[in-house]
Amino acid sequence: MSNDLVLENEILNLIKSAFNAEGNVIKSRRVEVFVKKDQVSSVLLFAKEQRGYIHLSHSTCIDWIEEGEFELIYSILSPKDKIMLYVKTRIDRDNPVMENLDGIWHQLNTYEREMREMYGIEFPGLIGDKEFCLEDWDEIPPMRRDFDTVEFARKTFYQRPGREDAKDVRKTLTEQSGEKIPDFATKYSRE
Amino acid sequence: MREKETTLYIGPQHPGITGNMMVKLKVTGDTIISSSTHVGYLHRAFEKLIEQRNWLQSFTILCRFCVPEPDPMELTYARAVEELEGREVPERAKYIRVMVMELARLQSFMLWYAGQSGSAGLYTLGQWSVGDRNYVLDLFEMLTGGRVYHMYIWPGGVRRDLPEGFKEKTLKTMDYLEKRLDQYNQMLFDNTIFQKRAQGVGVIPKDKAIEWGVVGAPLRGCGIKSDVRIDEPYEVYDKLDFIVPTAEGGDIWARALVRKEEIRQSISIIRQVLDKMPEGEYYNRVPNPMKWTIPAGQVYTRTESVRGEIGFYVASDGSDKPRRVHVKGAAYTHGVTVLDKVLKGQNIADVSFILNSLGVCPPEIER
Repeated sequence: MSNDLVLENEILNLIKSAFNAEGNVIKSRRVEVFVKKDQVSSVLLFAKEQRGYIHLSHSTCIDWIEEGEFELIYSILSPKDKIMLYVKTRIDRDNPVMENLDGIWHQLNTYEREMREMYGIEFPGLIGDKEFCLEDWDEIPPMRRDFDTVEFARKTFYQRPGREDAKDVRKTLTEQSGEKIPDFATKYSRE
Repeated sequence: MREKETTLYIGPQHPGITGNMMVKLKVTGDTIISSSTHVGYLHRAFEKLIEQRNWLQSFTILCRFCVPEPDPMELTYARAVEELEGREVPERAKYIRVMVMELARLQSFMLWYAGQSGSAGLYTLGQWSVGDRNYVLDLFEMLTGGRVYHMYIWPGGVRRDLPEGFKEKTLKTMDYLEKRLDQYNQMLFDNTIFQKRAQGVGVIPKDKAIEWGVVGAPLRGCGIKSDVRIDEPYEVYDKLDFIVPTAEGGDIWARALVRKEEIRQSISIIRQVLDKMPEGEYYNRVPNPMKWTIPAGQVYTRTESVRGEIGFYVASDGSDKPRRVHVKGAAYTHGVTVLDKVLKGQNIADVSFILNSLGVCPPEIER
C-alpha cells in the first residue's frame, strides 16, 4: 500500500487535466472526481481503456431534493493498483435524463434499469424490461425522498376488522358484533 | 432438423432456485439459448427503510439482507458509520469482529455444501453439513443471544464481550468441524457424479471475469487472486496468517476447490484470533442513539463474504439518519448479468447447480 498516495494523485491529476474536472484524493485507495454529465462516458472509458479501471464495483444515485438534483455515482476499481475511483455527476431532478452507459459495462444495464424505476431517471436507449422490481407501479418513483412510505401504506393497506387496537381480536369482535367466537384453542386442546 | 424453441420459467417457487427469483430460459431441447433473471418477488425496500431510521435502528434490517450471511452486512455498515464519524474501535473488538466474520463464513460454507451437493442430487452431505452448522449457530447463540440474526457488531465495537467458556467451546467445535470436513470432502469431491457434473460446467472466462463484475470465490476459481481481506485489509486481517486459495478453470469444480480450502482457512483464522486476542475494552460507546448525528460525507466500505465482496455506499447529510445507503452484494452481478452469460449453452439441469456455485442470493439483488 502506498503511503504517499502517489498512484491516487496520478489518476486524479490525469482526469483533472484531461477533462477539466474537480476531484479529491479522499484517502488511500479512494479517489473521487466530479464531472459534467456529458463527460461521464469519456471519463469512464478513459479510466477503463487506458488506466486499467476495468471493474465496475457499483453505481448508485442519491436524491438531493433540497438542491433539485440527483447525484449519480459510478464506482470503478483498478485491480492492479487496488484504487477505487468514484466518478460523480449531478443531473437535474425535474428533467432526470442520463446517458445510457451499459455499452461500457454490461452490468450497468441492471443498475440503470433500477434507477429508472426507483428514481425515475431516464436512460435513452436502455434495453431491458420496463419493470425490474416493481410491477404496476403508478405512484412517484419510490426511492425519491418525497415519496411518503407511511402515507402509501395507509392508502394501500387497511386493518382487518377487529385489529384496530392491540386487544385480543376475538374479544374485540365479540364486543363489536355480539357474536360469541368459539374458543378453538380450548376446543381442540389435547389436555 | 431444427428443434423448436421453448420458453421455460424456473422459479420463483422452485427447489432449485436459491431464493425467490425467476430465471426465464429460452431452450431448444435441453440446451439453454438465452436466459434472463426476473426479480421483484422479495423487494422489501430495505434501502428506503434505512433512510427513515436513525443510525443504530438500521441494524435490525441490515442482517436480513441475505439470510445465509447476516454478519458481513452488519460489519460493513458499522465500518462505514465509524469512518464517517471518525470513531475508533478497541483492539479487542476488532479481533472479536474477525472471529464473528469467520464463524459467519463457516456457517455459510456449510449451507453452500448443502446447496451445491443437493443441486447435484447428493442429499446426504447436505443433511450432514446443515446438521453440523448448528454447532456454529450454538456458538452464535452463546455469544449474541441469536442463532441466525445477531445484531452484535455495532459502530464502536461489539455489543458484548465473550462469555465465560466461549473460547474453549469454540476451539472444541473447530476441532470437530475440521475432522468432519475430511468426510465432507471425501463424500463430495471423490464422487464421480459431482466431478462429472462440475467439471467444465458454468465456465467464467478468466479474461472476462473482472470486467463482468465477478468477485469472491468465482473470481478466485478463474485463477485470479482477489480477496478484500488481503487487497484492502480491515480490522486485524493484516495481522493474521492465512492464504487466499485459487484454482484454474473458472468452472463449478474450480469454485468448489477454492471454497474447500477457504473453509480450512476460516478455521485457522478463528484459532489464531482466539490465541492473539488482547484483553481490554470491546465497545467504544456511542452517544444517545436518538440524538446521535454523523458528520456529512460519503464513504464506501467493503467486506469479503463467502459469496464475494459486500459493499456499503453510505452518504450522510449531517443528520441523525443516513441520507442514502446503497448495498452492493455479490449477487447483484452474479445473479443477473453474469448468470445470463454463463447459462448460455448449458443444460437445463445445471441451472440450479450453477446458481449455487455463483452464490446467488436474490434479496441482495432487490434489497
